[in-house]
Amino acid sequence: MKIVVLVKQVPEADKVAVDPETGTLIREGVASILNPYCEYALDEAVRLKESYTEKDIEVVAISMGPPQTKSALLRCLELGADKAYLLSDRKFAGSDVWATSTALKEGVSKLEPDFDLILTGKQAIDGDTAQVPAETAEQLGIPQITYGIEVKIDNKRIEVKRETDEGYQILSTRLPALVTMSKGSNIRRIPSMKQVLDSRRKPLDVVSADDLELDENKVGLKASPTQVSRVFAPPTKVGGDVIDGSDPKIAAQKLLEYLVNNKYLKDV
Amino acid sequence: MLEVDIDACTGCKVCERVCPFAAIIVDPETKKAKVLDNCTLCGTCVNACKFDALSIERKAVSEEELLLYKDVFVWGEWERKEDKITTKNVVFELLGKGRELADKLGESLAVVLAGKDIDHLTEELFHYGADKVYLCKHELLEQYSTDGYATVISSVIAAEKPSVVLYGATPNGRDLAPRIAGRLALGLTADCTGLDIDESRQLIQTRPAFGGNIMASIYSPYTRPQMSSVRPNVFPKPKPDTAKQGVLEEFDVKLSPINIRTKIIEEIISKDEGVKIEEANILVSAGRGIGLKENLGLIYEMAEELDATVAGSRALIDLGWLPHPQQVGQSGKTVAPNLYFALGISGAIQHLVGMTSSDTIIAINKDPDAPIFKIADFGIVGDIFEIIPEFIKLLRMRKQSDL
Amino acid sequence: MPQNVIIAEKLETIPIEEIRSVKGEIIISESYPSYLVDESKISGGHAEYLFFPNDENEIVSIVQKIKEEEIMITVSAARTGIVGSAVPFGGAVLSLERMDKVLGLGYDEENEKWFVRVQPSIALNEINDIVKFKKFEDNQSIPPEKKWVEKFREVPTQYYPVDPTEMTASIGGTIAANASGARSFKYGPTRSWIRRIRVILGSGEVLDIKRGEYKAVNNTFVIKTSTEDLEVKIPDYKMPRAKNAAGLISGHDVDLIDLFIGSEGLFGVISEVDVWLKDYTSQISNVAFFKEESDAIDFVIKLRDNDEAKPEFIEFFDNNALDLLRNKQKEDPKFVNMPSISKSIKTAISFDLPYSEEDLEKNFNAISKILEECNSSLEGTWSGYEERELVRFKHFRHAVPEIVNNTIAERKKNHPDIHKLGTDMSVEDAHIKEMMSFYHQTLVEEELEYVMWGHIGDNHVHVNILPRNMEELQKGKEIYKIFAEKAVSFGGSVSAEHGIGKIKHEYLKIMYGEEGIQQMRVVKMSIDPDCVFNCGNIFGREVIK
Repeated sequence: MKIVVLVKQVPEADKVAVDPETGTLIREGVASILNPYCEYALDEAVRLKESYTEKDIEVVAISMGPPQTKSALLRCLELGADKAYLLSDRKFAGSDVWATSTALKEGVSKLEPDFDLILTGKQAIDGDTAQVPAETAEQLGIPQITYGIEVKIDNKRIEVKRETDEGYQILSTRLPALVTMSKGSNIRRIPSMKQVLDSRRKPLDVVSADDLELDENKVGLKASPTQVSRVFAPPTKVGGDVIDGSDPKIAAQKLLEYLVNNKYLKDV
Repeated sequence: MLEVDIDACTGCKVCERVCPFAAIIVDPETKKAKVLDNCTLCGTCVNACKFDALSIERKAVSEEELLLYKDVFVWGEWERKEDKITTKNVVFELLGKGRELADKLGESLAVVLAGKDIDHLTEELFHYGADKVYLCKHELLEQYSTDGYATVISSVIAAEKPSVVLYGATPNGRDLAPRIAGRLALGLTADCTGLDIDESRQLIQTRPAFGGNIMASIYSPYTRPQMSSVRPNVFPKPKPDTAKQGVLEEFDVKLSPINIRTKIIEEIISKDEGVKIEEANILVSAGRGIGLKENLGLIYEMAEELDATVAGSRALIDLGWLPHPQQVGQSGKTVAPNLYFALGISGAIQHLVGMTSSDTIIAINKDPDAPIFKIADFGIVGDIFEIIPEFIKLLRMRKQSDL
Repeated sequence: MPQNVIIAEKLETIPIEEIRSVKGEIIISESYPSYLVDESKISGGHAEYLFFPNDENEIVSIVQKIKEEEIMITVSAARTGIVGSAVPFGGAVLSLERMDKVLGLGYDEENEKWFVRVQPSIALNEINDIVKFKKFEDNQSIPPEKKWVEKFREVPTQYYPVDPTEMTASIGGTIAANASGARSFKYGPTRSWIRRIRVILGSGEVLDIKRGEYKAVNNTFVIKTSTEDLEVKIPDYKMPRAKNAAGLISGHDVDLIDLFIGSEGLFGVISEVDVWLKDYTSQISNVAFFKEESDAIDFVIKLRDNDEAKPEFIEFFDNNALDLLRNKQKEDPKFVNMPSISKSIKTAISFDLPYSEEDLEKNFNAISKILEECNSSLEGTWSGYEERELVRFKHFRHAVPEIVNNTIAERKKNHPDIHKLGTDMSVEDAHIKEMMSFYHQTLVEEELEYVMWGHIGDNHVHVNILPRNMEELQKGKEIYKIFAEKAVSFGGSVSAEHGIGKIKHEYLKIMYGEEGIQQMRVVKMSIDPDCVFNCGNIFGREVIK
């Protein structure tokens, strides 16, 4: 059995900052990591591999991104993936949801056409849009289950526990299918030094658009139905009074007055 | 064009059974699928075919064809609350914005409403601004399913050719919209915070990029409809006009169980309704600055005095101190209460994007340079553990003097 | 001028009323209680004044006022110390919290190192945040015409390598304590990284001391103030070769700056600091596990001596420490945030290595060889090198002391006077095995609850005794003393990194004898004759004027 895990590399989100004067992004010192939800997906794939030994599961990690995305795939290999592909090509630059899912669809169906299950994170923490997995599933013509937290394999079907606003659902669908994971085991895995060492010897291939027989009209900026017309700094709200709170009694009193003056609390 | 790979086709008739428009049949003579003229390219059959025998080659639409797409659609998502089916709030918010867009375009505003027992929802949709409701009723739509809903709504879109379709960026909205975009090869802009029509009648979709550090305006010049999703609480809910009426059009739904590949085996509704931070009037929100989990007690104490709801920044959710539904921010919920207390929250941009639409923001933080002060209406530089106990004391004194 | 003479500068004073202050013992104890305690949690702290100076002139003005009133000053910043040095017993608290800025950046051409100039109350993690992310303004170059800030943007990432575990500690406090921590194994203690300090003396004058400029002559320094010449005689007792933070420095050609570093504030207030920086090297954090403690210690000794993989630090966790983690994991897995550790494991060793893809294989193969010699293997170890993984490993290393503190806090509810007994002793390399077995044997015999963890790379493992009642506390105190004597006999220190503060002076006696302590008193009285500063530190509260 073969599980493909689609992963994304993201900046460690809470560290991205904007230079207040120039309005440009400060990227220096911002680490790139494997998107946490993608790590949940990989974690689930490895868990399945470990618990269904009779199925002889192979876990393949695939990502699309610039060359430095290799480090995210390396982490996948450390954590238990058997091999990895990086779809990397200047032609992929500027891909929107449609073009990204087109490239991923081609990647999966050309590199691992005999896949049984695709696992992905529910969303990436840099964009949080949660749209690429579902659109990839649609392009591959396979069913999807989003917001999964646990997967069980039963012959040619899977059962997925899914988080909903109201609680949980147990869903079942046939394979091949795509599941997006919103949680993994409570504690992130840690590779052993042996796994770190071994991961350096596992296959990690870089695949270009040509390798996938994709021309510019199918991927990247040109193939993206959405286009960015303008970027601008977010409107800045002007802050109100900031008072010194080194005397807590006075500060609390002033806070109370503010709330009364603005009618959040009634005057007594 | 919908293409049939004659070699792959086995003549199994699944496509015939799933087509919402009876536009594909298996030719009794050749025993192969055959596409009829009334095909809308909705893509249902492509998904249903188990032999990869069907594919759609979508060509760029010419400018003249683009002009044929008219009207603004909103997906009418509903929810079941204590066995009652009600329209989700985000739909009303989208109707408010959709009305604006439709008026600018001089077109009409419609809701695509899919489900089973949903007739009673239409009236209210008219009150909130819809000119028309496409009612798609079917046994198999009793519960949300990706395949069922994607099929029906794609069919409506393929048949009616709207220029704009809006979705709430709810869990199901995020499950559905990309599926439709994938099927119809459309652009989709998720989590928009601004929508407008420019002079060339394009939909300009504005959304935060790079974690909210910059805003991007996005448009889809060559495809129709233009599709966007918007998070709950981003646009204001309009005032309903109870006198307003509209046109109800029942859209004939053809759906077969084989369309729906995913089955619900069990549904577990947690008894505990959970805290709904997105519906609270007053939110007391805590961040990393509270230091220890035990200190949350103080936050709850303050919330109780103010009759407020407790929320938190990502840091606290990551630590497992608060459950995910109580997270404010980009990877959590967008909230817009009347009053928002940011306690020990420095104000990373990912947090700010989730709460800037609050009416009044109060911030207490030790660090005078914390970005939260740039957007707070009232800020105190100081120690929350010194100030809040004093503030609680004052609130209690007021209550006592009230009695 | 002879190289053992330094001249104190006079500074302008300002009216005392203009300085933010709080007066009155009751107000301070009710509204500002946090200024009366530190992480030692010793009780009974009290003060009549609390000052918040903004600059040197304000400090000088305060010192003069305090001298007039003949009371003493306790200097306070982050209060993360664990021997009570910042806890006042009467007099005034000088809280430096407003002096927490970065002042500038320069390149020390003589020593070929970058340095950053800061105020005393800045936290170590704040320094590193500014340095690593190069958050300097163009006008912060020292001197301005050299434009160091612009040049700094082009050099590889730098950082301040001293890591005394508690990174919210203030730089001033860590200088007063000569703080060290795990990484002193590779980089040495705070002392090795301080280029220059400014210190305000009890006379209200300031010394500007740059490393290398003032050296003792005949064990003596002369400090020239406006009113007198203070003659300072450096002690001559023998200091242990092992890691040490107990008492004042001794020796023949001592640099004046080293007399002040580690002096626990006896001589004055540090008002400005230059710290050196070094190239930031990526790290890979690892934890290896052993079924026998003796295997683990063998591994440490071999790791320390191997020529291939050079660790940044080596940390030790005994079976009792691992039990604390195992129990905590059951109740709150997120607290430890690591996979569970099997019951069959008796010892864990945590060590960081420099990380580069080129050397990874070579380093790991070297470690693999040593592990196998010590009945363990690479399999089942933990390893991580991403920034967030490093944070996670760090959190893991700190989890044990945190659990110990929480446990003690819980026991205090029934026995308010109970406290943790934490040793801080080092020994020479040759004695590490003997010392470890002595610890275990004694504590098991006495049936006390204890955990052992810490800086085994420096032969400096902390023993934490967790008394369950007052009787055990008493027994623990006696054992503590026995351990101190043993450590000293093994060429070690009674306080390798925490310092003496207000609670460990009796153990200092074991190291240096009454005579050694008397020599320290002489130094104290020669530099601070009016006994203005931090008088309870090192000597205990019964200092004789």
